[in-house]
Amino acid sequence: MFKKTNIRFIIIAITLILAAYMVYWTIAYHTFSPEKVEELRTAGSLEKYENRIVRLGLDLQGGVHVVLELNLPKLVETLASNPTPQLNAILEATGNEYKSTDEDFFNILSRKVAAEDFRLVRHFPGLDKFKNDEIIDYLRDEAKDAVQRALQIIRNRVDQFGVSEPTIQKAGQYRIIVELAGIKDPVQARNLIQSTALMEFILLKDAQVTQSFIATVDNYLKTGRQLATKDTQPIAEDTLVTLKESKDKAVSVNELLGITEAETGLESTPADTTLLVDEQLFSEKPFSSLLRNIHNFIGVPERNVYAVKKILNNPEVQKLIPYDSKFLWSAKPERVTTPDGETENYYLLYHLNRETGIQGKYITKADARYGSTQTNAAGQPIVNLSMNNEGAKIFSRLTGSNIGKFLAIVLDDKVYMAPSIRVKIPNGQAYIEGLDDMDEAKNIAIVLRAGALPAPVDVIEERTIGPSLGRDSITSSIQLGIIAFIAVILFMVIYYKGAGLLADMAVLLNIVFVMAILATLGATLTLPGIAGLILTIGMAVDANVLVFERIRDELTKGKTVRAAIDAGYSRAFRTILDSNVTTMLTALILMQFGTGPVKGFAITLFWGILSSMFTAVFVTRTIFNYRTEHKILQSLSI
Amino acid sequence: MKIFKETNIQFVKYTKMAIAVSTICILIGIISMLFFRGLNYGIDFTGGTLIQVQFNRDITTAEIRNALATVKLENSMIQKSAGMNEFIIRVAQSNTTENLSAQISAGLNTLKETTYEIRRTEQVGPKIGKELRTSTVWAIIWALVVIGVYISIRFQFRFAIGAVLALVHDVLFTVGFFSITHLEISLTTIAALLTIVGYSLNDTIVIFDRVRENMKIMRSESMTTIMNCSINETLSRTIITSFTTFIVVFVLAFTSGDIQVFAIAMMIGVIVGTYSSIYIAGPIVISLQSTRHAEKK
Repeated sequence: MFKKTNIRFIIIAITLILAAYMVYWTIAYHTFSPEKVEELRTAGSLEKYENRIVRLGLDLQGGVHVVLELNLPKLVETLASNPTPQLNAILEATGNEYKSTDEDFFNILSRKVAAEDFRLVRHFPGLDKFKNDEIIDYLRDEAKDAVQRALQIIRNRVDQFGVSEPTIQKAGQYRIIVELAGIKDPVQARNLIQSTALMEFILLKDAQVTQSFIATVDNYLKTGRQLATKDTQPIAEDTLVTLKESKDKAVSVNELLGITEAETGLESTPADTTLLVDEQLFSEKPFSSLLRNIHNFIGVPERNVYAVKKILNNPEVQKLIPYDSKFLWSAKPERVTTPDGETENYYLLYHLNRETGIQGKYITKADARYGSTQTNAAGQPIVNLSMNNEGAKIFSRLTGSNIGKFLAIVLDDKVYMAPSIRVKIPNGQAYIEGLDDMDEAKNIAIVLRAGALPAPVDVIEERTIGPSLGRDSITSSIQLGIIAFIAVILFMVIYYKGAGLLADMAVLLNIVFVMAILATLGATLTLPGIAGLILTIGMAVDANVLVFERIRDELTKGKTVRAAIDAGYSRAFRTILDSNVTTMLTALILMQFGTGPVKGFAITLFWGILSSMFTAVFVTRTIFNYRTEHKILQSLSI
Repeated sequence: MKIFKETNIQFVKYTKMAIAVSTICILIGIISMLFFRGLNYGIDFTGGTLIQVQFNRDITTAEIRNALATVKLENSMIQKSAGMNEFIIRVAQSNTTENLSAQISAGLNTLKETTYEIRRTEQVGPKIGKELRTSTVWAIIWALVVIGVYISIRFQFRFAIGAVLALVHDVLFTVGFFSITHLEISLTTIAALLTIVGYSLNDTIVIFDRVRENMKIMRSESMTTIMNCSINETLSRTIITSFTTFIVVFVLAFTSGDIQVFAIAMMIGVIVGTYSSIYIAGPIVISLQSTRHAEKK
């Protein structure tokens, strides 16, 4: 018996040493100064720490959690040759249904295609597959492959962005979860992850073509507006707002398009959007009046952008756009000061060929740097591009045959710049200018190097926590944890006296053990995780309460101290086991079902209860045994 | 110290009253849920955007609303949060592609002489929310099934029925409470709900365990006597554990945000769970036994 107690002490000592060792790493790591962390990183020993510590969750140290989903309609459209409006309509309908149901995208697509009696082989020739179902199976495989590729590309981008311990994983079939901890600028990080990074060089349409298009739209709007004015007399007169500038007049978009309020009732447009227009021009040329000439490009004042977009998206106007061209906007506004000293933000509207001049896939190198003194972009941040041989050939042909024309550099359908081609460029060198700062240049270089995503990805969930909020959460939860801990400790000592002290020790040990387990598992401690830990304090004493109540029962039955302790523990053990196993089962289910925060809670709850069985039964029992064996314990303080 | 001396309360006698009271409470909750207040689902479940902002000065919700009106978001829900000059702005999602948080920032930028720090943003797509609702219901159902199976193995099938019905009682009661108080149902609330399930079950099992033991000792006694005796014997433990757990969740209720809602749910759960373990679970086991006896006769 004496030996048995010794063995028990040895087991406890070993566990405790192991636990303390594991917890030491965590405490050491989290108390390092930033300099020390950097020093360890360069020495290569930081990883040693990171592998054995309890990491803090995004909610405690700040960071971004993004769930991305591959845009499947876009992916299919990209894969299809010559997508027709009918195909696009089917894809759009499928996409909408997919958003609102649990059904698989390709099952819906299969149904829609069958319903319309549409033959997919028209758009997917040369696959040696003719039946719709075969082609859909092919597309499903392509989508799976695309997710894998997207995962790899996003991983490359994040690695180059330099975040420590990022989580990038596939979730469900077409989803990717990205978690970046402790980053300063979440918006930038999100853009970096999400951008498709489809880079194209596209020639601008000749100015005359654009001019004639604008004139056509002017005409169309003018007749439309006159018709509308005739039909409905008080055309939205109340929505007019007078602007301070005398020659500019505020007009509602709907007036411009010649539609009455009733017709637009379903749209989400604010009815009273006012525009900055030149009054003289307005009556004659309603469309041109929204536009300005900015260094011979079409400039649109920021407040008119909405109206211009709406006009361009009007189905009738769409028909007027020359079939071989498209309109794209500048990536960011340009600040222009008018002669009267007022500044206004202008977006540039580019009229481009529909056909891409050269694609970004030929780019082999992309570096962010400051422009050299010989160029226009002297001292500004730029991204320098180099193409491979094949790309250089195409680029050389493209530039050579279009001298004098403008070539737009387009990234994800946004125009960064449109320089004019002065000479033939034979070596496949180009650069992007017009960037805000070096950070932007670096990020563009990263996405270009890592490659384009196979299809755009949509952000379907995003959670950002600022670092200051995380710090506050840690402080307040630790404070509350200590208060709760003290309250429980005091209660136990008052109620069970000496034995209560023993239970308190068990609870304290329990916290150390849980932290050690979390560190060993490489688990992450979240705010709900801390709540789970605090909760286990309350529940961990339960095992001891069960034992102590039993011991009291046995003592009142007149048993000796030693016999009462033995009986108390052995009889309470079955109860403890059954009641704890059921709680652990619920914790397990929470782990399975839960995302981030809930999972964190379930993990600490699960291990907390498991380890409380060790501390509350094994450890306290050993101490009781030791004391009765050494006759220290003659009467029981319980 | 000992608060509970040998108690001998005839708990089973109050079965009918307890069931009546519980039924009324749960019905009130269900009626509120179905016809009046519904459930206040957070953006985890509905989809939408949430932004937590801290301003550098005293500011009213009206001012914020005016600023948001410039970007047509004046219908957002604006709520004072626990921190200094801290607010939570919520917008229901109309379209997944819209970057609402950028739009909100644009609106707040129109505030004069004000700087602010965005401390937290959450954007959840409607599809994700819907999926979460489905998986939540499944999680709770699975928890109940697994627990039922475990108790059937360790005890008897009728004990499983009693325990599971007591848990359904706890879940319905708490959800009803959330409907009436219009507290937000978020992911954390679901965690609380499942913890309540686990916790209430803890109490129930301790009582059942004593019943299992007493059934061997008091072979000649009726089930009602055994039940009463077992509940009385474990009463002091039940109350003490509930009390220590209650202390802890009571302290947690002084936090803010999700954890606070979690703690409030748990406070209700600890009380209801303790009550249902004593008054609901046991009596159901007895009534199942007596109907079986009746069949035999």
